[in-house]
Amino acid sequence: MNTAMTREELEQILDRALQEVTERTAGVRLHQGDRPLGTDLCTVHITFDKGFSTSLTLCADTGLLARMAGNSFHEDTVTPEDLEEFSKEYFNVLCGKVAGAMFQATQVPAHFGPPTFYHGRYEPEDREAQFVLTYCDEHSEGAQLIHHVARPHGESAAAGDEKEEIG
Amino acid sequence: MSKRVMVVDDSRLVRVQLEDVLEGTDYEVAAYCRSGEEAIEQYAAVKPDLVTMDIIMRGMDGLDAAEIILKNHPDARIVMVSSLAYGDTFERAKAIGARGFVEKPFHQEQLVRVFGEALS
Repeated sequence: MNTAMTREELEQILDRALQEVTERTAGVRLHQGDRPLGTDLCTVHITFDKGFSTSLTLCADTGLLARMAGNSFHEDTVTPEDLEEFSKEYFNVLCGKVAGAMFQATQVPAHFGPPTFYHGRYEPEDREAQFVLTYCDEHSEGAQLIHHVARPHGESAAAGDEKEEIG
Repeated sequence: MSKRVMVVDDSRLVRVQLEDVLEGTDYEVAAYCRSGEEAIEQYAAVKPDLVTMDIIMRGMDGLDAAEIILKNHPDARIVMVSSLAYGDTFERAKAIGARGFVEKPFHQEQLVRVFGEALS
């Protein structure tokens, strides 16, 4: 069973899933860029609890998520509850898309629990960022999709294009 | 006459999207349940033609809820609507008797086709 995937392959899966789900769910087009995020941020986070010992985090400008939520709910203004609900469901769908693509590539099923929402930037304590994909939209608001791996014990994190065992 | 759909999903976003997508079709949302437990309770009262069932929900997941509904109502027509449309999840949905699987994010053509197949 092939459970190996390069970092480049994983980045492509994440990028494709994020762009597709964002446009289809909220009608917003995001493109990769290096613009730093603002200071008013929200974060959604999931951990893959079967098959893949990794987690995904989306940290985004609150204005971007609020606009996406408004588009999806057909409302001009969104409440904090709308923002949280939208963010969790959007990220849930995004992670499902990612997990499906990973399954196609590796035949390893990945399961994950309900996303967790945070105001501000959240970084899981027991993990470290392996790579970050940075996006912005036409309103110059942005998001970062962060792939976390378990913090190595006395070893440096895997990097580059080496094959990684992810199952 | 429209077919009555009971939507089981803890997301308001999905409810809005389903209402949008089903507008102008032969399907209408007859009831909305936010959990598997609520769906089990409501099924007999609502008597829907079709159930759409999410999988990842707080409390009982959609696969367990679908299994119980089908045990109590073997003629129930349940379509799983989830982002987990692959692997063992997909296989289990088929094994418990779900009539179809729609992957999120969904679109109208896909949804109506799967609904039609589930009711045929």
